[in-house]
Amino acid sequence: MRIVHPMPDESTATPVRAPLVTVDRLTVDMPLGRSGSSVRIVDGVDFTIGVGERVALVGESGSGKSLTARALMRLDRLAKLSGRVDFDGIDLLKLSDRDMGKLRGSSIAMVFQDPMSFLDPLMTIGDQVAETLRIRGIGKAEARKRALAVLDELGVDRAAERLDAYPHEFSGGMRQRVVLAMALVGEPRLLIADEPTTALDVRVQDQVLDLLDDVSTRRGLAVLFITHDLGVVAGFAERVMVMYSGRIVEDGDVASVFAKPNHPYTQGLIKAVPRIDQDLNTLYAIPGAPPPPLARPSGCPFHPRCDQRFDRCGKDLPALLPVGLSRVACHLLDGKGA
Amino acid sequence: MLAFRAYSWFLSRRLGLTLLTLWGLASLVFLMIKLMPGDEAQMAAGADASAAQIEAVRERLGLDAPVIMQYLGFLGRLLRGDLGTSIVTLQPVLADLEKVLPSTLELVVIAMLLNLAVAIPAGIVAAYRQGGVFDTTSRITAVMLGGMPAFWLALVLQYVLGSVWRVVPISGQQGYGMNSPVVTGAPTLDALIAGNFAGFFDTLHHIVLPAAVLAALFATQIFRTLRAALLGVLRSDFIMAVRAKGATARHMLVRHALPNSLNPVLTLSGAQAGAMIGSAVLVETVFARQGIGAYMFNAVAQKDAFAVLGSVMFIGTVVCLVNLIVDILQLLVDPRIRAAQLGSQGQ
Amino acid sequence: MTAPAIAQPATARRKEGFSTFEIFVFTLVIALLTIAVFGPFLAPDSIYNSDIANSLMPPSATNWFGTDDQGRDVFWRLIVGAQTTLLSAFLVVTLYSLIGVTLATVAAAGPRWLDEGLMRITDIGLALPGMIVALGFAAAMGASLRSAIIAMAITGWPITARMLRGIMRQTMEQPFVAGAQVLGVSKWRLMTKHVLPNSLDVLIVKWAGDIGTTVLVLASLSFIGVGAQPPSAEWGATIAAARGYVSTAWWTVVAPGAAVAITSIAFGLLGDIIQVRRDPSLRGN
Repeated sequence: MRIVHPMPDESTATPVRAPLVTVDRLTVDMPLGRSGSSVRIVDGVDFTIGVGERVALVGESGSGKSLTARALMRLDRLAKLSGRVDFDGIDLLKLSDRDMGKLRGSSIAMVFQDPMSFLDPLMTIGDQVAETLRIRGIGKAEARKRALAVLDELGVDRAAERLDAYPHEFSGGMRQRVVLAMALVGEPRLLIADEPTTALDVRVQDQVLDLLDDVSTRRGLAVLFITHDLGVVAGFAERVMVMYSGRIVEDGDVASVFAKPNHPYTQGLIKAVPRIDQDLNTLYAIPGAPPPPLARPSGCPFHPRCDQRFDRCGKDLPALLPVGLSRVACHLLDGKGA
Repeated sequence: MLAFRAYSWFLSRRLGLTLLTLWGLASLVFLMIKLMPGDEAQMAAGADASAAQIEAVRERLGLDAPVIMQYLGFLGRLLRGDLGTSIVTLQPVLADLEKVLPSTLELVVIAMLLNLAVAIPAGIVAAYRQGGVFDTTSRITAVMLGGMPAFWLALVLQYVLGSVWRVVPISGQQGYGMNSPVVTGAPTLDALIAGNFAGFFDTLHHIVLPAAVLAALFATQIFRTLRAALLGVLRSDFIMAVRAKGATARHMLVRHALPNSLNPVLTLSGAQAGAMIGSAVLVETVFARQGIGAYMFNAVAQKDAFAVLGSVMFIGTVVCLVNLIVDILQLLVDPRIRAAQLGSQGQ
Repeated sequence: MTAPAIAQPATARRKEGFSTFEIFVFTLVIALLTIAVFGPFLAPDSIYNSDIANSLMPPSATNWFGTDDQGRDVFWRLIVGAQTTLLSAFLVVTLYSLIGVTLATVAAAGPRWLDEGLMRITDIGLALPGMIVALGFAAAMGASLRSAIIAMAITGWPITARMLRGIMRQTMEQPFVAGAQVLGVSKWRLMTKHVLPNSLDVLIVKWAGDIGTTVLVLASLSFIGVGAQPPSAEWGATIAAARGYVSTAWWTVVAPGAAVAITSIAFGLLGDIIQVRRDPSLRGN
């Protein structure tokens, strides 16, 4: 896969953009049954996404990346959120449900992992794409026209004839285009893509990525791309954030993170990306598994799996501090910050 | 064309099952006749019949022939619409039942509307606010109502609302002097047709309590089923996608969650429509209403065996047909079922 | 072919303490059973004789729930009626469970045509309104408690048969059954030694809820007049007999109906509790 797009500004490694989203000490707690107790899945995350910027959020399953993404839209009804999520100067966590609803779909939109399960099986494709507009009081004919335009733009064959078809009549790749159309029809400024390619086969994955790349460039759309696959990140994103056990452990531009990963976890992840010239027997995997949120180790949550750990790692939680142009949360790098 | 063939395949299969069920029902009723103690001809002719009359009935029903011939004769008579003759009214049972069927259907239709009108909104609110105050109280109410005998609830409410508080009439279908000329046999419709609005509201006033009692028992099932289905659907991914579009809770519930939860409710309400016709036997008599339930009840009281068994045959048939209609409706409503039912046979 | 849902083995079930609500339901059921077993021995003989002078007396210290039209004590008649009602319900559920188990076993183990035939018969049974058919049978056999019990037994089995047959088929697809067959264990031995015991679990879960429903249907049949006949103390018959006095002596109707409702609700809740304990994912539904 080779995605070509112009680097916005070749002179600086990290282009300075106006921030679109600023997340400050975001935590997400999920209730445990009806006991009244809850578990902290996302544990104080801060980051920004610039206007038109493409950011990847990478982590193993259970790292909290999906819940972080959903928290930006306040999609989990049961989740308790705290911290700040500034979008264009508005704190989303303070909005009423009604006002938040108005932002969803029109300012922030989302595409999901498995397009089939994220489409209502009982509603036609056309109605589902147009729905984002219909909710906002746009007339039936106009909404349908704009839905058709987006489906055409995204390369859905014979879109006009297939507006009245149901999701089960589409192939996996086409469904993902429909889901993307649903997200884009409201002309959002931020698109959250939650593992949009994971459920697809490799050939279709590339098509969808190309499409996403194309559309976001053309529309100047900021994208937060959630994935567990670093391989996908390299071609698509400008910046990558690595999440582990509910925290961001490294955040930097793609080129420098891939060239010189700072956090041992990032190093492990990059080592684990399979390359074409690699002997299958030497495939690397980080030993161990991420800790369950209810049983996080003391100190740095990664230290039991870390091959570079020392005394302090089991005691203190490392803060996310600037290191060069990146930010890293690791005791190894303490004092090396800029 | 493919779709047409698939549809007709589905319809013929479903129709076949209905015919099979009706045949099974007829055989059961024949078995019931054979189980009756005493002389069948005597039972059919009535206790006061003369020896000659009894012999005439024996001749007509072919009771001297072997059982298998009697069975075939019985099926033949059913096909001609002969459900036997009542020894009380001396009329064919079918004619008696046809006369009172509209009254029962009126009760069942209004009860079904009340049932759905209460249970569906309650189910939606309970599921959306799972574990909340409304959810808890409505679940307790459902459990209580579900355990109450219908006829008892009818008697108690009749006493409290009819005799003590006097907010509804105690019994009957319409007040004195309120009746309109009989056209359909359903008093509410007859009053409307006659343009007798006072009479129409009077009939509604009479039907509201019986219908509410009937509805209450069935509403508990619809409530529980819809609530459980909705809880499942509300956890599904596409609901999150709908919320991500900016839909309000109301839009999400009504346009997406509800249609996707309606399938089991539709199946259940189809079965309920039939069961309600059966339960009418418990409610109609308490409120001294006309109907097939009351007819059957009186037939039992007067030991009019053929009227009872004719009613069993009749009610069973109505129930089967209602279930058939509901299945076809379901096919038209749900594209997934359409795809599954038709797709598997279409190729 | 969908993978069969394999029931959790007993050892995997989480042992939890009982909630207050659960203890309340257990107590209620045990109390009802105790009344049903010992009630008739405790009741005074006077409830079997009429005492017209004392008829339709409202509830008082001597007659807790008042007296009926025959001057009999309503409370003690309920206590005596509990035995008739519960015993009949137990009998009905046992009988139709036996029919259901037999048919399911034959269908699951027998040749394909037999399975197909039995399942079509089950379809017919499921499609017909059970209470109306039971009413027909009871009326045909001559209205009596015995007729009602038989009628309910021969109309009650289809749901049990359908459920069990499905579960038996699943069990038969499990590896240990195939293994036993390879070893030359006969089919009938397999059915009775392995498949059937696995299915009984389901019957036990279903049992309590079935009792609750059966109590209701039996009371209904008696009320219509095809079940227990006066002067039986069976609750449905008692309501039927008291029907005419609802406006003059409400307690004669309210008390037996409340007894039916409490019994039906208690057993229904017990059924729900057993089901949730067996499959905790149902909690809250």
